[in-house]
Amino acid sequence: MKEKEIYPPGDAGIWIIIYIELITFGLFFLGYIYSRRADVELFNSSQLALNQTAGFINTLILITSSYFVVKAINSIKTYDIKKASKIATRWLNGAISLGAIFLIIKMSEFVTKYSEGINLSTNKFFMFYFLLTMFHFLHVLLGMIILFNIKEKTKIQGYNKNDIKGMQTGAAYWHMVDLLWIILFPLIYIIR
Amino acid sequence: MRINRLTIAYLSLIILTLFAYSLGKFELINKTFFIILIITTFIKGALVIDYFMELKDVSFKYRVIPMIWLFIILSGITLGYYF
Repeated sequence: MKEKEIYPPGDAGIWIIIYIELITFGLFFLGYIYSRRADVELFNSSQLALNQTAGFINTLILITSSYFVVKAINSIKTYDIKKASKIATRWLNGAISLGAIFLIIKMSEFVTKYSEGINLSTNKFFMFYFLLTMFHFLHVLLGMIILFNIKEKTKIQGYNKNDIKGMQTGAAYWHMVDLLWIILFPLIYIIR
Repeated sequence: MRINRLTIAYLSLIILTLFAYSLGKFELINKTFFIILIITTFIKGALVIDYFMELKDVSFKYRVIPMIWLFIILSGITLGYYF
């Protein structure tokens, strides 16, 4: 049986940030569902204006991107530094590209809504929709910047089996972004 | 070909996402399917925590924090939906 590690992967500081982010988003999620109770009809009719397929594709994209990041870490843990850096860079390039596609799809959703005259002040549902998804959008953007820096360091063989903490720290943040979207997608797009 | 646990977790996430999307697309959400959706969302969250965040092989106290968060938030959403 595999022996358990004492501490989670990555820097301890990132886990404190992750827990704070989870609590913040969690309060927003609960705020959404309890506001919905006050006017279920409004929330249900407004939700029809959303593009569920775009939300679905974006969920697949983030999950796949997270998977690629884990594959990058596993490559560093498995192979010799030269081969590992090359393979991990490819996985990270894939993860960053998927992150970019997520942002493009989300941005197109925002533009479509604004062109239809829908914005933050349209009603309570759209206030939550824009606040939650824009706040998440910024986290994806930050996650991509972090992944890009990790990728640059990986390219110059900056990580190896014994020095992988930096990569794990950035990866943990990226997975948090994924975890949040996994709740956001059914909450905003599906539940009615 | 041997498929490892990480890949199984990834494929499970894809299938469960497809399930959630189908519920929305075919307007199947009712009080019964809602609870199934919440359970599958919990499973998806747990898979991310265990296999992507790699907390499965870490001391229980660190693994349990995001799991409790997930449970509380999804329970809160369930209570808000039903009552």
